[in-house]
Amino acid sequence: MLCYTTRLLIILAAASVFSSVSHAQTVAPTPSAKEQAAPKVARLPDFSGSWAVVGGSPSWDPSDPRGAKPDELPMTPWALERFKAARPPFGAKATFEAVNDPVQKYCDPPGITRLYAYPWQFALIQAPGVVYMLYEFTGLWRPIWLDREHPKSPDSTWMGDSIGRYEGDTLVVDTIGLNDKTWIDQVGHPHSDALHLIERLRRVDQDTLEVTVTFDDPKAYTKPFTGQRVFKRSSSPMEVTLCSLSEMQSFDDEVMKSTTVIPKK
Amino acid sequence: MKSKRSIAFCFAAGLLLVAIPISAHHGTSGYDMEKVITLNGTVTSFNWSNPHCLIHIDVKDSKGDMKDWILELAAPTLMTRNGWTKDSLKPGDEVVAETHPAKNGATTGLSGASTSLLKFVVNGHALPFH
Repeated sequence: MLCYTTRLLIILAAASVFSSVSHAQTVAPTPSAKEQAAPKVARLPDFSGSWAVVGGSPSWDPSDPRGAKPDELPMTPWALERFKAARPPFGAKATFEAVNDPVQKYCDPPGITRLYAYPWQFALIQAPGVVYMLYEFTGLWRPIWLDREHPKSPDSTWMGDSIGRYEGDTLVVDTIGLNDKTWIDQVGHPHSDALHLIERLRRVDQDTLEVTVTFDDPKAYTKPFTGQRVFKRSSSPMEVTLCSLSEMQSFDDEVMKSTTVIPKK
Repeated sequence: MKSKRSIAFCFAAGLLLVAIPISAHHGTSGYDMEKVITLNGTVTSFNWSNPHCLIHIDVKDSKGDMKDWILELAAPTLMTRNGWTKDSLKPGDEVVAETHPAKNGATTGLSGASTSLLKFVVNGHALPFH
């Protein structure tokens, strides 16, 4: 398996090639067939840059984005059992004690939709045939393939299998093949490995990106639901914030435990 | 004359009607987000690391006993975007710092996360906050 740095270099190299092709288009007097295709790419909506969440609502429940009414989403008994067992850091059930948030407890990957809730930025790199999403939080990334369909029987993975298409000014991303180890949000709502996500990314203006996500998971929810987030273009360069289990445990010992026990007088 | 260091622990700011909307990866349920207190003390360490930067401050309580307070901030990446650096604080610095105290009475507080920070004055100079 390629290490993180190597994978990132591959992505950046792909972006560099794409950029070079576009640049060549503007200076070459007799463009090649490949270069003639470049103007089609140039007309696509531009999602370049890094984006930071506005507000950071912890839940995707459209009627309760603060997660104050945790039973609002139409959960199946299967999901409700898991939701009741969740001890999340946010929402109506927020707690510091015996937290079983898989990110906080194990440094597990947060999952695609929960990544939108963190204050760390993400960036999109649009290349021929693929869009890469890079996330500052824990250094994750995923490809969104524009030139193929889903595999017939995809593996269940942390980031799933994403394919996309442009619809006018919107990038529509279709994801399946997710494992059921992540929460969809910060308040502990579960999902199954049958989760089918549709993300619609649209730039409202030069500096505003709107992301609308539809969750379709018949094993966990009795009907699909749709939530929305807004992101602002950031002037800060992309950084990487890794999740280290040793650092998390050290923080837990030093801070979390002291605020969950009665201090000695 | 009272030295700066001997200036005690005080709850000068008291109760705020509107809490500053700050959060952290672990949420804020362990802290009293409706309350802000102001601490006067001396920095003993500044840990610029994930998941949250931590400041240890020696603060005298109302009985004159020295207490080790731990103030939690955002992760280094996010603190950098608020204008801080790993050198913003060092042991020996005299600070006036606001914090949301722990609900259980522990000498632990949340002073900043993400895009919001409470007030920090270090050796008479205010550090950036939004």
